[in-house]
Amino acid sequence: MGGAISITGMGVICAIGNDSQSVLDSLKRKESGIGPMKYLQSVHTDIPVGEVKLSTGQMRQMLGITGDNPVSRTSVMGAIAVREALSQAGIKNLEGKRVALISGTTVGVMDVTEQYFERMKTEPELQYLPHSNECGRSTHEIAEYSGLGNARCCTICTACSSALNAIMLGADMLKNDEADIVIAGGSEPLSRYHLNGFNSLMILDRQRCRPFDETRAGLNLGEGAAFVVLEKDVPDALAYVSGYANRCDAFHQTATSKDGDGAYLAMSGALAMAGIRPEDIKYINAHGTGTPDNDASETAAFRRVFGDRLPDMSSTKSYTGHTTSASGSVEAVICILAMLNDFVPASLGWSKMIPGGYVPTMGRSGADLDYVMCNSFGFGGNDSSMILSKNRPSGEDAPIMDESRVRVAARKVISDDAELALLKEYLSPMETRRMGKIMKASLLSAFEAMKEAGLEKPDAIVAATSKGMLELSNMFLEEIAQNKEELLKPTLFMQSTHNTIGSAIAIRTGCHGYNITYSQGDDSYYWAERDARMLLRKGEAKAVLVCSFDENLLDGRTKDFKAESIIYTID
Amino acid sequence: MEELILNLKEQIIDALNLEEMTPDQIDNDAPLFGEGLGLDSIDALELIVILDKFYGIKLANPAEGKAVFKSINSIADYIKKNRTK
Repeated sequence: MGGAISITGMGVICAIGNDSQSVLDSLKRKESGIGPMKYLQSVHTDIPVGEVKLSTGQMRQMLGITGDNPVSRTSVMGAIAVREALSQAGIKNLEGKRVALISGTTVGVMDVTEQYFERMKTEPELQYLPHSNECGRSTHEIAEYSGLGNARCCTICTACSSALNAIMLGADMLKNDEADIVIAGGSEPLSRYHLNGFNSLMILDRQRCRPFDETRAGLNLGEGAAFVVLEKDVPDALAYVSGYANRCDAFHQTATSKDGDGAYLAMSGALAMAGIRPEDIKYINAHGTGTPDNDASETAAFRRVFGDRLPDMSSTKSYTGHTTSASGSVEAVICILAMLNDFVPASLGWSKMIPGGYVPTMGRSGADLDYVMCNSFGFGGNDSSMILSKNRPSGEDAPIMDESRVRVAARKVISDDAELALLKEYLSPMETRRMGKIMKASLLSAFEAMKEAGLEKPDAIVAATSKGMLELSNMFLEEIAQNKEELLKPTLFMQSTHNTIGSAIAIRTGCHGYNITYSQGDDSYYWAERDARMLLRKGEAKAVLVCSFDENLLDGRTKDFKAESIIYTID
Repeated sequence: MEELILNLKEQIIDALNLEEMTPDQIDNDAPLFGEGLGLDSIDALELIVILDKFYGIKLANPAEGKAVFKSINSIADYIKKNRTK
C-alpha cells in the first residue's frame, strides 16, 4: 500500500500546441490560441473558440488511421496525447503489466453523432453510428489508436471536472494496487451541440475571455486532450500527485453558490490529503472560466482558503479556451510544465480587479514551484482540486478495511411508469417540472432506498450510466437541427450532461461529498460499485449511494427505463 | 393588454414546464423569482428566449432581464414598449 504517485509522462494537444513543447513555448510567449472558428461547422461564426489547429483528417493521418469510417475528434486528439505521454514515459513494453486507461469526456462521440443526426434517421447503413452519447466508446478508440488495446478502459463523465477526476481515479487505483501503470486524463472536442448549449446559457463571450476581470462577460470554448502516465514510487519523476479531492457544491445544476462551498471543500480536501498548509502552494491554476458566476464564486472560495495571501494565480483558459471535460488534465499538464521550467504562466486579458477580488499573475520566471494547485469545476457543482509537487512526497496512506465489512443496506429499482407518481411524496410539482422519466425514476429510487436504509443523507454519491441523458440529448439535437442553431432551450441542455442525476441527488439531499459519474458501457456499474466499496473501506464515507440508470428511446422519447439505487454501508 | 398577458402566461407555462398551473393561477403583480413563483436562473434564460421568439426583443445580457422579469405586468409593459413583432 501507499507509495508516491509519480507522473512519468505527459502529452497534450490544444489550441496553443500539438505537444508539450509547443504548449510550453506559447505559454512563455504569452500567445493565446483563441480565434475565429475554422474546423467546427456552426452558424455562430461570431463566437471565438480555441480550436486545435488540425483537421480531424490530419489527425487521422498522424495516427495512421485508414478507411473512411467517421472517427470522433475526441478519439484522435486523445490518442495523440496518449502517444506523447507513453513516449515520454519511455514505456515500450506493457506485457505482463496491469494497464488502465482512464479518460474524462462528456461530449464523447457527439461530434460524430451530430454530423450524421439527420441522415441516421433514414439511412440504415449509418445505424452503426452511435445514436446516443456513449462516452465509453471514445475511450476504447483512444486505446486502440494509441497501442493500448489491452488496457482496461474507464470513462468519467462529470462535465468540466472529468479529466481531473480521471487522474484522481488513476492515483487511487495505484494506491490500492489495482494497476501497475495508469494513463489518465481527458479529451473533448468542440461540438455544435455544446457550443449551442453554452450559447443558450448566455455564457459565451463574443470577445476573448477575461478571467477574473471586472468586465468579464463569459467564456470561450476550446478543445483538446491531455494525458499523464502514472506509476508508483518512481524517483525523479516529472512531478508527483500529492493531494486531491472531489466535492459537490450541491446548489444548482448550472449556477454556483455565492460563497463557493464546493470549491472551498475541494481545495481544503486536497490540502488535507497533501498534508500541507495553504501558504505552501506557490501557484494556482484556477478554473477561471471568465463567466461572471464562476470567477465570483471561485474568488470567494479562494478568500476562505487563502485569506489575503493568495499565491500567484492565473487562468490559462485565456490561452486554450475552456476545454471543458479535458480542462483538468490540460491544465494539470500546464502546471507540470510550469514546475519543470520554473515559471508561472500569465493570465491574459485581465485589466480591472473584481471588487474585493484578487489580481491574477501577469507571469513570472525564475519561480521555484514546490507545490501547485489545479482547480477544475463542472456542471452540477462538481468541484475538484489537485495538488502536484515537484518533490517526492512520503506517500503514506491510511490502511484500508476488509472487503467483508461492506454491506448493502438497501436496494430499490424503479422501471415502471406507474411508480413515478410516488415522487410527489418527496418533491413538489415546481421541483419536478423539468424532469424526464429517467430523472424522476432515479430520484425516486434514491429516496426510497435511503428511506429503507434509514439514511438522511449519503456521504458520497456515485452514478453509472451507459448512454447518459438520452432523451434530453436527443431533444436538444433535434432543436439544433430544426431551429438552425437559434432560440434553443437552455432547459434541455442544462440537464443533458451524464452527471445531471448524480448532481440532482446531491442537491436534493444536501450532500457535499464526493460525486462521480461513470459511463463505460456495460462496465459502468462495475466502476461505480468499485468506487463505493473503496470509499467505505478507506474510511472516507460511512454510507455511499450508487445510482445506475439508463433509458431506451422510441421516436426520440423515452420508451422504457430502469433506475436502481443501492446504499452501501460499512460496519 | 389583457390578451397580451394571457398569451404571455401561456407561453411561460409551456416554456417553463409549469404543467400543473393555469394562467389565472399566476398573479400579474406577484414576484416571479425568489419568494414568489420561485423561478431560477434557467427560467430567466427561457424568458429571454420567449421575448426573442414571440416579440422580436433581444436581450444581450442576462443581467438586463432582472428589472424586466419582476412580474407578469413588468414583462408585459416591457413587451408593449419594445416589441418588433
